[in-house]
Amino acid sequence: MNSSLEEIEAEQVIDLGQDHDEETAVAKRPRPKAKDQRPQLTYLLLPSIFLAVTLIGGLRLGAADNAFIFLKPPLICLVFASVLLILFFRSGLMSVEGWFSEGFPTLQNVANGAVLLTVFAASTQLFNSLLPEKGLPLWVVGFCFFWTLWNNLFAEFDTKKLLRSLGALFGLAFVVKYLVLANLTATGDASLLQRIWADPAKEAFTWLLDLPRYAAGTGYIQFFTLALYLVGIFLTPQTTKK
Amino acid sequence: MNKQYIQILSIVLIAAGFAMTAFLYWTEPRSFAEVTTKGQVALGTYEINKDEFSRGLGLFRADDFIGSRIAFNRADPEKRDANTQFYIAYSYYRQGWGRVSSDDSLFKPGLDAVNHTIPLDPNFRTMDENLVMKTPSELKNELEEGLKITPSDFNPMKLMRERK
Repeated sequence: MNSSLEEIEAEQVIDLGQDHDEETAVAKRPRPKAKDQRPQLTYLLLPSIFLAVTLIGGLRLGAADNAFIFLKPPLICLVFASVLLILFFRSGLMSVEGWFSEGFPTLQNVANGAVLLTVFAASTQLFNSLLPEKGLPLWVVGFCFFWTLWNNLFAEFDTKKLLRSLGALFGLAFVVKYLVLANLTATGDASLLQRIWADPAKEAFTWLLDLPRYAAGTGYIQFFTLALYLVGIFLTPQTTKK
Repeated sequence: MNKQYIQILSIVLIAAGFAMTAFLYWTEPRSFAEVTTKGQVALGTYEINKDEFSRGLGLFRADDFIGSRIAFNRADPEKRDANTQFYIAYSYYRQGWGRVSSDDSLFKPGLDAVNHTIPLDPNFRTMDENLVMKTPSELKNELEEGLKITPSDFNPMKLMRERK
């Protein structure tokens, strides 16, 4: 039985070669399946992106000597990041069943947990990056974040709307901190009197709003951080099931 | 690559990434050079720069205390070597010592330096024969006495004392 089947298949292959020209024969061959790149994306690329955000989210450059300043995230950033993760699951950007399941092998559940941990850490550091460090701006921007996230928690969301909302929220916060407030801050290592003489308005805002002085490079680094985070969120799959 | 290997690699990558991030935020290096030095401290391979130490010692013996402190600080940027820190504290003492009165503005940082030295090696004893005070405790006592104003400060016999 088996040998007769093999003979028929062999004849069909020979027929294909005889009846049609070479090009047609090649076209009819089944194309090799594209290799599935999703595991590499989910388990290598995404954690790398989120770890990079975690690393540089709290990095500032000193105004006087461009020295590294690593700022640990305040507690409120962890609260915001937790709310954001809840929003990700509520909006369907990620599904709980798609990331944790009894049907998965233990290794996959552990790896998924580790990847989600990087998402949480990166979110924490992103808030650390976008929230002003102290003074009145911290309270104002912090309240705006809280208000938006709190409202979003009870709104009907889909993934696209959430991403648009987050893009707008983070973009605005970036503009406020690294364009508006940074331009109100007096920098340079001149003496207080020289700075007041050179630009009294800036010096007054710096003093009134209690703004920290950082080098201009900080804004560039944090722009890169924000962009990297949004790319990471865009690439995050809803599920790790096949 | 097998999916399981990718997942194992991912867990290792994430653990290493978090360890590196925690290290940087814990030690707060201010430059790439400091990242290396602090990494050596964390790995237990930190050593002082012997050339800078020798230069500092030469300047110390030539009574150039400011120059010696600069060299000692270069030799031990992490301030972890008891011997180097002892010399730094001693340089403050020798520079601030006066036959009539001591310079408090130098004795105070000297006291801070010696207080930093004691926990590094509580049993530290210098091998330098040129130093009269051999231990951080003796130096600390001398610096503290120099900072106090006591009736003995007005003893004219004090003019006869020598720098240690």
